[in-house]
Amino acid sequence: MAKQDDIALMAHLMRRAGFGASRDELEARVAKGYEATVEELLNPESQPPVDPYALLRYQPAALLPGGQPPMGNVNYMYYLVTTKRPLQEKMALFWHHVFATGNSKVDNYDQLLEQIEIFRNNGMGNYRDLLLKMARNPTMIFWLDNNQNHGNAVNENWGRELLELFSLGAGNYTEKDVREASRAFTGWTFETKIPRLPYGRFPWKFEYRPEDHDDGEKEFLGHRGHLNGEDIIDIIAQQPACARFVCRHLYNFFVADEPQVPAWSLEPPRDPAALDAMAKTLRDSKYEIVPVLRMLFNSDFFKNARNKHLKSPAEVVVGTLRLVGGYDIPKPGYGELSMQPSYMGQDLLNPPSVEGWHTGSEWINSGSLMARINFVAEQLGDQSLPGVQAIIGRLKAQGTLSPEKLVTACLDLLGPVEVNSDTRKELTDQAKQWGQLSWDSVPNAQTAARRATEMMQLIVATREFQFA
Amino acid sequence: MPLTTVSNGRTYDWSYAVGRAAATGTGFNYPQTMCLGNDGDIFVANRGNENNFGQRVNRVKLGKPGEEELLAEFFQWGEGDGKSHWPFGVAVDSNNNVFVSDEWNNTISVFHGNGTFIRQFGKTGSNDGELLRPAGLAFDKNDHLIVVDSGNNRLQAFTNDGKFLAKYGKAGSGDGEFNQPWGITLDSAGNMYVADWKNHRVQKLSPKGEFLMKIGEYGVVPAASDAFAVTYLGPYISTTPPAEYPKAGVLNHPTDVAVDTDGDIYIADWGNHRISIFDASGHPITNLMGDAQVMSKWGQQSIDANPDMMKALRRVRNLEPQWRFCFPTAVEFNPKTDEIIVADSQRNRLQIYKKVRDYVDFQANL
Repeated sequence: MAKQDDIALMAHLMRRAGFGASRDELEARVAKGYEATVEELLNPESQPPVDPYALLRYQPAALLPGGQPPMGNVNYMYYLVTTKRPLQEKMALFWHHVFATGNSKVDNYDQLLEQIEIFRNNGMGNYRDLLLKMARNPTMIFWLDNNQNHGNAVNENWGRELLELFSLGAGNYTEKDVREASRAFTGWTFETKIPRLPYGRFPWKFEYRPEDHDDGEKEFLGHRGHLNGEDIIDIIAQQPACARFVCRHLYNFFVADEPQVPAWSLEPPRDPAALDAMAKTLRDSKYEIVPVLRMLFNSDFFKNARNKHLKSPAEVVVGTLRLVGGYDIPKPGYGELSMQPSYMGQDLLNPPSVEGWHTGSEWINSGSLMARINFVAEQLGDQSLPGVQAIIGRLKAQGTLSPEKLVTACLDLLGPVEVNSDTRKELTDQAKQWGQLSWDSVPNAQTAARRATEMMQLIVATREFQFA
Repeated sequence: MPLTTVSNGRTYDWSYAVGRAAATGTGFNYPQTMCLGNDGDIFVANRGNENNFGQRVNRVKLGKPGEEELLAEFFQWGEGDGKSHWPFGVAVDSNNNVFVSDEWNNTISVFHGNGTFIRQFGKTGSNDGELLRPAGLAFDKNDHLIVVDSGNNRLQAFTNDGKFLAKYGKAGSGDGEFNQPWGITLDSAGNMYVADWKNHRVQKLSPKGEFLMKIGEYGVVPAASDAFAVTYLGPYISTTPPAEYPKAGVLNHPTDVAVDTDGDIYIADWGNHRISIFDASGHPITNLMGDAQVMSKWGQQSIDANPDMMKALRRVRNLEPQWRFCFPTAVEFNPKTDEIIVADSQRNRLQIYKKVRDYVDFQANL
């Protein structure tokens, strides 16, 4: 029998490095060990990939969904819900937060999904290489107008966001650097694509046009020469600010909520020592991502950060669907299901701007909170779902449940969720109205199962449940 | 790709394309299967999407290039008689009545050829006569309906009015066993050819369901490292394809099969984006990769009505991605015209080839 502390720590790791885990999985992982689990997560190739062919057999419109939701969301949600490589998928979501690119302008979920696939395949690789892939990614080029960045007419959109939001952060470069970086990326564009009519969507292809590139001398962050785009990325990677910027994103995503990105030049990090250590690891490894993730997940600052992160809508929805089970086939209604994060304020594949989503407490308002609670409560109230049945089975195995025991067991099996004494008292007061629950007859067992799901529905409505 | 493919004494000539992406009207929406009617019209079962449009069966009159005509549409999304959630298999009986499977509702619906609903049968389950995710359909010479009962990994035979007759096969990867099969066809002797989707092969069974032969083995057509991915799952376009391309004999999630009057076998090699052709004994002959260099009639109408599309099209450097199959799901052979009809699912069109019997290569220095 695994110790409760070990279960709680493993649950913490799996919520952050993945999208949660069932109690069976947590117990198996505790038996395997914490560090061994971290290593397995860091080596996604040890687990099978998502089967895209099953998705396309049942929902063929998810491959080239065009600009109208929800088929693009169906594709993405299917990967999130069925992956056996949770950290790989979590890192893809992380980079989607950082390199935020949206359907509102791109008008083509196909190419946003292609970008997610780049994150999936390269998100645990080398940051500098990923940055270069983004610079060459036609979806990013269109999103930030680099196709309108010409040798004789510079457009600074990509050059500015590259420095401000993708690598260094405000305060670590000058307006002249923005201009020079933009000049260096002139001529980085894409070929005209086959139009959507009459046979559906086709992709772009990156193209470098030397005749449209400004090959003149430039000075960028103290480096002078006939700089091209790749030179700019190499110079960026040499800046100490770059590793700190990437690591602050990682800290915010995996450890504890930080202020929003525009405030980073004004507000100090929550844990400067942790950030220093992470940035050093990233620099020492020449921007390989896996070493810094290994250091992060094995650190005390991570292990002590339980419940210091407000779950994003994607974490709420995906975590719930993986917990309750029954969504292996993208069945009818999957479209509505895959739009649930949007209703909670996180429209996947369509962030509000290039700055990405504001995280932490900004996820919560009266509408989004109700959407969260209603969604999770509805899923946990469905006793036909295998994950709900598994929870009820574990409760049943505990025998007759006093009100106190019911509350404790449900809190445990939903997380463990750690609640304060006031919340526990309110939950217990409700359970006392139901009295003792037993499983000794069919009607009693039905009543006990119903009360158990109702208790879980109350728990997911608590403040504490919103944290991971 | 050449418009005419010559290989092993056979010649296949690309003829024309029919269709365009359309959730209703003249065009298709992710065809899953199709079936030739007794009069040569084609019935196409379209899967649609999660916005609940596009689902339907459409009946299209074929002819010479440009003569296609939409005759009927039915089995759209909805609840109740004659409506669908996940249309999948389609087959036509000797009276030209159309039978369509619904993979979600686990039912078979029957329509007159004009789309008028007649009746429905089928019940969810795994007992005799019950269905779980019914996929491809076909009729034998006795007008018995053969259902690819995909979720139960078996075939079931029914009378024309839905009475259970027999079942063949079980879950597994051995001879006569299935793993989520998809399409089915019968040859003139009544032998059944089943696209054993997740076992990456086609199995040939006798009219009594005995295993006779299997064709193909799992394999992915290689892509050059510099290839252009038309989708993130292919097809891949390259001017320098790898030496072993296009690797005959391997299949990646085959979805359908057809047999011509010579016994040659056409397999929709869905995951490899091609039609793989085998001879009657299962030896690979060649592959058709998709060659739609000429716009379909309805496709041209879309472009004519949207000049910006034509402007863009004229600036495209390489149109090959538009010619090629993208997840072809279904293949039919029309014995009256020697046409090979391919449902090019992600491109929402049919591509039609002709098996040429009298092809002569002019022996002169052209």
